[in-house]
Amino acid sequence: MFYDLNIPWASNDLPRTLTFLDDLGYNVVALNHTVSGKLPSNLSCPIPDPLPYKDLPAKLTILRRCTLVLTETHQNARLTELSRNYDLLAVRPVDEKTLQLACSSLDCDIISLDMTQRLPFWFKFKMMSEAIKSGKRFEISYASGVMGDSGMRRNLISNATQLIRASRGRGLIISSEAKSSVACRGPWDAINLAAVWGLGQERGYEAMSKECRSVVVAAQFKRTSYRGVINVVYGGEKPAAATAEKAENAKGKGKGQVNAQKRKADAIEATEGAAANGEDVRPISKRQTKRQQKEAKLKAAAGDAAAGDADVGT
Amino acid sequence: MVRVKHRYLLVNILYPDDNTSSGATTSKGQKDVPYAVQFHKPTSDRVDTRMFMQMIRNGVADLFGDYGSGMTAASLQVKYFSPATSTAIIRVARDHYRLVWAALTFTTQLPKPVNQPCSIQVVRVSGTIKKAEEEAIRRAQASIRRAQRSDSSKPLNSASGAPATPGEMLDSMGLDDDRFADGIEDADEGSDEDDSG
Repeated sequence: MFYDLNIPWASNDLPRTLTFLDDLGYNVVALNHTVSGKLPSNLSCPIPDPLPYKDLPAKLTILRRCTLVLTETHQNARLTELSRNYDLLAVRPVDEKTLQLACSSLDCDIISLDMTQRLPFWFKFKMMSEAIKSGKRFEISYASGVMGDSGMRRNLISNATQLIRASRGRGLIISSEAKSSVACRGPWDAINLAAVWGLGQERGYEAMSKECRSVVVAAQFKRTSYRGVINVVYGGEKPAAATAEKAENAKGKGKGQVNAQKRKADAIEATEGAAANGEDVRPISKRQTKRQQKEAKLKAAAGDAAAGDADVGT
Repeated sequence: MVRVKHRYLLVNILYPDDNTSSGATTSKGQKDVPYAVQFHKPTSDRVDTRMFMQMIRNGVADLFGDYGSGMTAASLQVKYFSPATSTAIIRVARDHYRLVWAALTFTTQLPKPVNQPCSIQVVRVSGTIKKAEEEAIRRAQASIRRAQRSDSSKPLNSASGAPATPGEMLDSMGLDDDRFADGIEDADEGSDEDDSG
């Protein structure tokens, strides 16, 4: 399973791009909507579900992702509301202060940095490991290097190697951020690029598959489960109405019997209603039952004897 | 004397853009052709082995400078180039094949006179040319199969009446097309140390 978690929603000819990604071997793709500046009043996702294109590859899973550009003054309070409308929430810090904030307290899934420009700060392992420990992943987007000029490519390589160095190869995801289908590359090509930049092949493969999956699953879990701890995967089906009734009856009967054994008075009271109708339904006492049994036995013995006589007689 | 070890890269040239600046495309309306067939369309005849080779060399020089060119120049060779299927097999020294691969990844268009936007995907890294060939044949058959299927899905179909279409030939060969059709790469491409000869 290969993931590409950053395809701009506003890119031209989206169905072609998605088909091409499917052709390259990707299984899951996230469409990205970028929000910058002040949060709009309406936070709902602008990406329609399902997408209004008819010839999309059937096997491709499409997710919805929001990237929030973090500036100095951001609205922390509405972040949960924003994240509820999307499958994934990414933040794009612009300076060290916001990166620190994103790594520590902000509740997001992906930290995505603008790799095309020279970042005025160093990545610190302590800060990054804190973020990775809490389930956030750092994103490397390669399309700007593929399509851009040599300056952009240089910055991308520089930032990517810095990120790989500081994170020690853990907690990274590789995505394309391709604005057109020409900028997309196959998953193994991207892994090789990362290998050239100093991320081992195994780590690169994980950055393309396992780490992405962990982000997607954790994000889904955060949204659907109870306090991010328990999720009902399959609650079983509701029993049919008839069987339910029967089960209840059986239960009631069992209870009644117990009661009858434990407290005779209750059983008597329960049958009182029937007694009022004129018939005597009082439970027979032990002595009475013994007497009845004895009588029955005697009667049976007499009958047998009579039959025996008859046999002899013939 | 230790033998020089190589890697053989099987590459596909893909055309994700519908820009038809080359003369290779058919005059038929592009809208009718499904995307999967458009991506695997034939390369222009004006691109030959030498031109492709030059493109790779320039790419390596562009990305890795004199160091990259020097390291790969001795062993770099285009073993096979087929414009009809847009497939090529490139030989390169084992120690530096990643440089060439990265250069191919950063290629965005075919060289000067053609100037067609393309995307190059390495589909197989192999230690022997035989395995690369086998994979190339397998993929070519899969793409025929795919084209055939997309053609037969249309209501009016002239090819289905023909006695021996490529797809039927594949059927008689007993090929399991579902294994090929989804375009997912082999998992063992990554473990390239396996078949080093």
